[in-house]
Amino acid sequence: MTPIVPEHRPENRDARGPSRRSVIAGAAGLAGLGLLTLAGCTPARSTPTIPEAAATGTAAQGGRLRIARPAASAAETLDSASSLSAYEYLGALYNRLVKLDEKGVTVPDLAEEWSASPDGVTWTFRLRRGVTFHDGRRFTAADAIYSIEHILDPDTASPQGEVLAAMIGPGSMSAPDPLTLRVELLTANAEFPSLLTAYQCYVIPEGSAGEIGTTGIGTGPFKLSSFEPAGTGSVEAFDDHFAGRPVLDGIDFYSIQDTTARVNALLAGQIDLISQTNLDFATAQVVSASSTATVARSANAQWYTIPMLHTSAEFSDPLVRQAMKLAYDPQAIVDTALQGTGSPGWDNPVPPTQAVWLDEQRAYDPDKAKALLKQAGREGFRTEIYTSSYESVFTPMAVAYRDQVKQAGIDLVVRNASSDSYYTQIWMQKPLMVSYWFTGRPIDQLLNQIFRTGSSYNESAWSNPTFDGLLDSARAEMDDDRRRMLYQDAQRVIVDDSADMTPMFGDRLVGLGRDVVNYREFGFEFDYLQIGLRA
Amino acid sequence: MSTSDTRPDTTGAGTTGTGTGRGTPPADSRGGAPTPRSTSRPSGAGLATLALVARRVGTALLTVLLASFLVFFAVQALPGDVAQQLLGQDATPDAVAALRETLGLDQNVWARYGQWLLGASHGDFGVSLVSGAPVGPDLLIAFRNSMLIAVPAMLVGVTLSLTLGVIAGVRRGRPSDHAISLISLIVMSVPEFMVATILVLLFAVAIPVFPAVVLRGDSATVAELLPAVWLPVIVLTLAMAAYIVRTARSSTIDVMASEFVTTAELKGLTTRQVVWRHAVPSAMLPTLNVVALNVAWLLGGVVVVENVFNYPGMGKLMLESVFTRDLPTIQAIAVVSALVYVVCNLAADLIALALDPRLRTRRKARS
Repeated sequence: MTPIVPEHRPENRDARGPSRRSVIAGAAGLAGLGLLTLAGCTPARSTPTIPEAAATGTAAQGGRLRIARPAASAAETLDSASSLSAYEYLGALYNRLVKLDEKGVTVPDLAEEWSASPDGVTWTFRLRRGVTFHDGRRFTAADAIYSIEHILDPDTASPQGEVLAAMIGPGSMSAPDPLTLRVELLTANAEFPSLLTAYQCYVIPEGSAGEIGTTGIGTGPFKLSSFEPAGTGSVEAFDDHFAGRPVLDGIDFYSIQDTTARVNALLAGQIDLISQTNLDFATAQVVSASSTATVARSANAQWYTIPMLHTSAEFSDPLVRQAMKLAYDPQAIVDTALQGTGSPGWDNPVPPTQAVWLDEQRAYDPDKAKALLKQAGREGFRTEIYTSSYESVFTPMAVAYRDQVKQAGIDLVVRNASSDSYYTQIWMQKPLMVSYWFTGRPIDQLLNQIFRTGSSYNESAWSNPTFDGLLDSARAEMDDDRRRMLYQDAQRVIVDDSADMTPMFGDRLVGLGRDVVNYREFGFEFDYLQIGLRA
Repeated sequence: MSTSDTRPDTTGAGTTGTGTGRGTPPADSRGGAPTPRSTSRPSGAGLATLALVARRVGTALLTVLLASFLVFFAVQALPGDVAQQLLGQDATPDAVAALRETLGLDQNVWARYGQWLLGASHGDFGVSLVSGAPVGPDLLIAFRNSMLIAVPAMLVGVTLSLTLGVIAGVRRGRPSDHAISLISLIVMSVPEFMVATILVLLFAVAIPVFPAVVLRGDSATVAELLPAVWLPVIVLTLAMAAYIVRTARSSTIDVMASEFVTTAELKGLTTRQVVWRHAVPSAMLPTLNVVALNVAWLLGGVVVVENVFNYPGMGKLMLESVFTRDLPTIQAIAVVSALVYVVCNLAADLIALALDPRLRTRRKARS
């Protein structure tokens, strides 16, 4: 199954190598060194002067927000189904049927409510009344069906296409009346609506697939006034938006590929917000100390992992994998590599803010780790851990992890690989490396994509039949509480046995102007309605 | 000392060769290089000079051709299949094969080189693999934008640095010499992106007189770019000037120690006359090639500077094309850069020919 595009697929990226949803901190290597020095000479958690929350308050009605973004490619498009979509525009221009809230629960967007048959096969969505597209057309179930068919179309090659194709066949969808969408799934799936929350699933008008890439006609709070791939573009407030007019009059988007240039533009007051950019810690301090700009956090937005290749000789042994986990304290890694701007993961890939999160902390026991290694015949285990300047936290994390596992007698050598080939030459190839994803996937998609046997994004190549069985049981379980328990059982299996460690979730440090108020972003959701400029 | 004044890669690399030492003063310049106006041309030398010029131009053309050959085949040898790269790792083999066919990657490599060369010779560099638009027009805009910062940087930089270099050379050992040498050494040692960042912090953030970046990217018009060119121009000027100052200073020192300068002084000319009429033209010769290489470097080496300022020039285009593996664009940029290098060196050689009659007569004697 092919899941949504992980943020770090090099083929999607702009200049500088990295991928669309990711960011390269300009002098990441330098920043990493800076961090280490900082960590070395000051007590951890000492002086992160990074603000905890974005400014809130009354915004002036109107105004234009200027956003600097790293463009995906010169071939980028406004078609959300495409793997080359211009991500920042999507949430402003379109709506989905459903979206996720901060706890990872599926909530209404264009669909007001939905229900399933007891067997979980037939799903009925009741759609919002009185919604209009930017060109004045009424939104109906036909548009919803058309949008999903567009994603399913093999010619679209949508990253979400195969995920949905496993459930929706030809003739699966019907519209009993203009505001009702009925979907007959090929197999039962209690989490089906959550799969429509992906950022590829925005709703477009019926018959518009051919030109949607340039027209951007949706039902969202802003309508397109200009768009140039990898260039500039503007959107204007849409007065007839169903949830009311947005606070801003419009947003101007500018492509700036170089991270340093984006930060300079922010400091010089040329732009108001840097999107999709996790500032490295040193830069974040400079920005928050400036008089024009500050830093806001998108909490737990970066999910950092240390995949151990399950197919390698050393990590196919569950004792070694367990030892690698018991040997380190995630809190210590948060304190040094993130300077406290994040939360420890304790090897559970589900962020603690999520409703289905398993509230159990595994043991931290270097002595036991040592004993396990001895039992596995790998006393004084020595190997290499790969990192790169691809993301600013990678190297600090690798070094912090190396220092932690020393207590268990594990001797790691940190190897720095080139960032532009990191995800083609190192990822899923070297036995031990550091990696990351963006959070914001619904639980079903997260577990199936990154941990299920044989999934193309299973970065540790881990395979566990018990775990796969739990995922199947969860999909067939229509009772919400019992399903949550199954997902928690699945998390327990991951913590105990999986080959992908999760040391921590990092807050994304977002640079924005001091005049920006009510900035709110989590997962793949950005609040375009409330954001504004200070009155 | 004078050899350390030039960048390792500028000493002779890429030049078409005039026979004199590059960057360092020619050993035989002692004994007096006549000033241009004192040249009286023997009859028949005109034809020989013409042949010499023709040979230079021929060599230049051959160099460009060779460069295009190397560029084309180096790009072919880049790791990773282009079609695979464009479609991503999950692409089906069928899709990859189909794209290879569309791109003509299944054809004979020599045939493709021939076609490409033919197109390139009249400005048709093919179609971008990423945007699908012809490479030529985009490259032309990027080239124009780069010239917009390169030409002022070149004019200001060369004038300023030659003047400072000559002053330092003439006043060797005096405070002004020390000051000029020290400053140029410092500027030389600081990388461009650092200078750029400092200038941005000073003149865009602390005292906001200039914009920090170009926001409108490729679609920016010349008028829109004008407020933004100043900081890049200053960075490039500084980066380039330091090297030329060092070279100009050492060749001035060498020339000032020569016999014909002593003769000129003895016949009662003022220092100013000696310097500007006799010493400077001679000192110019070795400096000329450093200037030529620096000018060419301006166009190729602006990558860092253009990215820091988000300036839509050739350097930025190059970086983007490399990361998206847009081979036609990479090839076009490489060939245009090679062309600029060769043209600059050819110009330097021809100017040297005009300044120094010995180069002409020597060749004539040999042929």
